[in-house]
Amino acid sequence: MSKTLSLLIFLVMTAFFACFFAYPIWAALESAFRGPDHKFTLEYITEVFLNELYREGLWNSFIIAVWTTLGSLVIALPLAVCYVRFAFPGRALLNSLVLMPMILPPFVGAIGIKAMLGQAGALNSFLINLGLMDAMHPTDWLGQQRMLGIIIMEVLHLYPIIYLNAAAALSNLDPAMEEAAANLGCNAWSRFWRVTLPLIMPGVFAGGTIVFVWSFTEMGVPLLFDYDRVTAVQVFRSINDLSGNPFPYALVTVMLVFSTLFYLTSKLLFGSSSASGGGRATTGREMIQLPPWLGWACTAFFAGVTFLAVLPHLGVVLLSFSKDWYGTVIPHSLTLSHYHDALGHELTLSSISNSLKYSALAMLVALVLGIGVAYVSVRTRIWGRQILDAMAMLPLAVPGIVMAFGYLAMTREGQPFHWLMLGEDPILLLVIAYAVRRLPYVVRSAAAGFQQVSPMLEEAAQNLGARPEKALWRITLPLVAPNLVAGGLLAFSFAMLEVSDSMILAQQAAHFPITKAIYSLVLALGSGPNLASALGVWAMIFLAVTILGAGVILGKKLGALFRG
Amino acid sequence: MVTITIQELTKRFSGSVVLSSVDLQIEAGELFFLLGPSGCGKTTLLRHIAGFYTPDAGKIWFDDEDVTRLPAHKRGTGMMFQSYALWPHLNVAQNVAFGLEERKRPRKEIEHRVSEALSQVKLDGLGSRKIQQLSGGQQQRVALARALVIRPKCLLLDEPLSNLDAKLRLEMRSEIRSICKQHGLTAIYVTHDRDEALSMADRMAIMESGKLVQVGTPTEIYRNPATRMVAEFIGETNFVEGRTLRESSRAGYHDVETPFGVLRGRTNDTSWQPAPGQPVVLSIRPEALTFGNVLDSPNRFPGHIIDTTYLGPTVQYLLQVQNGPLMKVCEINPQEIRPPSEEEVRAMAGMNDVVILRK
Repeated sequence: MSKTLSLLIFLVMTAFFACFFAYPIWAALESAFRGPDHKFTLEYITEVFLNELYREGLWNSFIIAVWTTLGSLVIALPLAVCYVRFAFPGRALLNSLVLMPMILPPFVGAIGIKAMLGQAGALNSFLINLGLMDAMHPTDWLGQQRMLGIIIMEVLHLYPIIYLNAAAALSNLDPAMEEAAANLGCNAWSRFWRVTLPLIMPGVFAGGTIVFVWSFTEMGVPLLFDYDRVTAVQVFRSINDLSGNPFPYALVTVMLVFSTLFYLTSKLLFGSSSASGGGRATTGREMIQLPPWLGWACTAFFAGVTFLAVLPHLGVVLLSFSKDWYGTVIPHSLTLSHYHDALGHELTLSSISNSLKYSALAMLVALVLGIGVAYVSVRTRIWGRQILDAMAMLPLAVPGIVMAFGYLAMTREGQPFHWLMLGEDPILLLVIAYAVRRLPYVVRSAAAGFQQVSPMLEEAAQNLGARPEKALWRITLPLVAPNLVAGGLLAFSFAMLEVSDSMILAQQAAHFPITKAIYSLVLALGSGPNLASALGVWAMIFLAVTILGAGVILGKKLGALFRG
Repeated sequence: MVTITIQELTKRFSGSVVLSSVDLQIEAGELFFLLGPSGCGKTTLLRHIAGFYTPDAGKIWFDDEDVTRLPAHKRGTGMMFQSYALWPHLNVAQNVAFGLEERKRPRKEIEHRVSEALSQVKLDGLGSRKIQQLSGGQQQRVALARALVIRPKCLLLDEPLSNLDAKLRLEMRSEIRSICKQHGLTAIYVTHDRDEALSMADRMAIMESGKLVQVGTPTEIYRNPATRMVAEFIGETNFVEGRTLRESSRAGYHDVETPFGVLRGRTNDTSWQPAPGQPVVLSIRPEALTFGNVLDSPNRFPGHIIDTTYLGPTVQYLLQVQNGPLMKVCEINPQEIRPPSEEEVRAMAGMNDVVILRK
């Protein structure tokens, strides 16, 4: 590529990032620090810490994040060790199944959890049928332990992130590292604690940090559990207040500061130590053949975790087919009418078409930007290319709710980007928001492609007379096409199920994307939850198909997109 | 110091045989080499001795203890890995101390022995360095110290010098040998570098596709290779095919008819008497061939030089033998360099240097 074009891409990208990533964050921060007299003030921030409600919200978010991370670790680490070390029946299939929860939208699953754990839910009916519970006094699991429900839901959603990171770190570990310890007299158990675990720690922590920040700022799940005492939900609720209310901005600022602190701490603790070790791996890892009963125990462990993780979504599927699911273990009678009704409901059809429209456009934007960034950072030597690459990855670290509020802040009346609102239609804003949030996935998969395709192929084309741009177009792009398609599919499907931007930026029913439509259906009376489930099932089928497509195209590299 | 005995060791990896009924005895205090082309099973054999693999059949003994099923961490061997396998999360001293900690030695003793081991490999004072701060040669020394400090029953070395540059390799060769001899260690050294094996080994085994082809001292293997493959693997050589005529006048020598005349040589194994008319292969090392009339030997044949390579201490010629094959000739300390030409030269080889191999 010619230098001018690289520079042009660099400048365009920098401008785009300045406008739609840095500026919105700045706008959110500014609103948190500017008093009514347009002067700098710390009043709102201090108020956040003084107000008991906000303090409780922050504390609860923190607790949820801690337990979610610990829970995910407890599930994911043994899974990863089993997968990398042992041969057991169904290993390959279970390895992909165990990742399924990641692509199942947790806030849809929350509907299922409610159906199963509610007072007249499946669990209570089951216990009553067994005679373990008094039918007159059923336990209100979610009423008393809503926080526990949220944590369980998030653990079951997020453990695959740690699993992927830990499994990758484990399989990259030179087996000689452990063999050397064994050779020096170290038994298997103490080998794991003294050698293996310290060496994979950076990988595990990279995953752990993502899970921590994710659950710290998660909005969808607590919202559906109707749990108002976490910061993200408090922020969401306060949008409906007067538009000038500075407290949501102050809350968002506090969240951003905390998230950044968590990232920095983990980088400081584990960023510097390299896990790979000296020298290249010289021996392949020999998988340990377990005795049959232990092998099947591994299989059962994987299958059990997968089953638990998809259970809420099975609940959603059941709910979407059930005529009446009240006080029984499984629904009495099944019906297809919800699917039929869902298609007839004014919210559903428009939300599906809205989501398709927003997501497709966002995917295009993300693809164009992502290819540009990846190409410049992998193939050129211009100054600042690493900064560009780092910038494109930053949206992973910034909570979605912060970005959403930034966009809200920068398009308020009187702000320079107010025109983006197009009256009340959030299409431009949502497309930009989705594109920025999902850009990291596109950049990583495109960069992986560019790294695999030797620049010499392109040089050969130039040597035979093709202009640099032509060589890129005719040689390299076709070769990296699978990566681009996969990155695009991921961006698209995650955009379809985006929660925070959709909840906050889409204000009118006519412009609701699927996620917000599901949320408002859940709140509706009557068959609302069933309709929401039907819509959720549609969304899950959709997502499963696109992710499977991406998985087939990208193969094993799919996992690399979720590594910290 | 143990004697290692290997009995009929067999190992298959997903159906293909990588070790096939290997029998071998390594004496206490011996520096023993496993040598062979890549994929011959030498590393697999070493890893069986270390305990990382369990054989499908056969036994391994350390003295009179059967260790075949003993897990690696109970065998008390000290291994140097090809990649060194130094743990990046521990510093140099912590790496070296690891084995002693596992053996629950008192802290004082550990400190003392670690610094002793480090000074033995000439790394005094580098104990607090990180692994990443060391050069390749230094890392190699840490790996050696880590294996030695536990006073292992035997030292296992898996191509330990393959990641070093040529000069460092030469230095480390003599250093490793002298450390082994100093401690009287039984050591097994895996390599595919024949110079390493010839210069360091007490004895060695040549392996090919999971089998031991020959076991012996460097001289035995170089001078009396058991097969064509061994002859070629352990050094450069020329092969000439032919048929034995009859036992020649001088005891122990045989005349072999070749396309370019009759050559007289000795068999690689004195117990073998080739039958008259039996097809055989002759192995003649390049350095055994000379030009001119300096030896009392019937093995003389004409040819002309078609290529000359000057290497300083030696000069290598490619000789087109009249009515015969191309032969490599290597002259040591050459006084006169012969350019390629059509001019006839006569080459000759001593009877002892013409080795008759079974075909």
